[in-house]
Amino acid sequence: MKKEELIAQLKVIIKPYTTNTEAFDNLTEDTDFINDLSINSANLVDIVLDIEETFNIIIEDTDMQRMLDVKTAVEIIETKLSEK
Amino acid sequence: MIGNDVIDIIQSRHESNWQRKGFMQKIFTPNEQLMISKAPDPEITVWLFWSMKEAAYKIYNRQTKRREFIPKKLVCSIVSQDDNSIIGKVNCDQNVYHTKTILLHESIHTLAVNSLDDLKNVMEIENKNIIKDSNGIPYLCNFLSNTLQDVSISHHGRFQKVVTLDLK
Repeated sequence: MKKEELIAQLKVIIKPYTTNTEAFDNLTEDTDFINDLSINSANLVDIVLDIEETFNIIIEDTDMQRMLDVKTAVEIIETKLSEK
Repeated sequence: MIGNDVIDIIQSRHESNWQRKGFMQKIFTPNEQLMISKAPDPEITVWLFWSMKEAAYKIYNRQTKRREFIPKKLVCSIVSQDDNSIIGKVNCDQNVYHTKTILLHESIHTLAVNSLDDLKNVMEIENKNIIKDSNGIPYLCNFLSNTLQDVSISHHGRFQKVVTLDLK
């Protein structure tokens, strides 16, 4: 899967949890889930679960621990997909 | 040091489905999950533990400057409990944080400190004269003494709480 495609899918996942539409519309790899998108930390769990379901992968706790921005999320999804 | 976390229960019902498959396993240890399942009100216990973890994490983050999403590494235990207040502990690696949670009808508010004695020195203040460092950690500017003091801000739904330690 191309990175752009992956980010597009990630955006669909993130959308319901963000209240900051401007940051969401301008989302880049550097976008931070909490600082930029104002995502509630309990909803980070939902994002992790949605990623697991959408991509049919399992996110370990050690990966979840780092999953605070788009870049890291993409990197983790790519790694998990390549291991399949 | 100080941390705090407030939860608007009504807001949490709109934002989160704690009964969703996999949710509990991602954020709670097996022992916490057991305590939640046996609690008279599992929903309140979920958010009680969550607010304890969040409040303790704010101290952990200030101490270590590490930004991590580590809910299961912040291990909750209950020390004592009366009608609407709960004294607890959160362990993270070698660190222990002492917590006090006030349960009200629609809110859960947890304070976390490093030493149990400090719980009585916690003071609620207004959200002003607060600056953040490059790690996003907030400090209260005291213009009289020209010093910076640890402060913790929490906002959720209808509630906002700003707390500091009154050390005089």
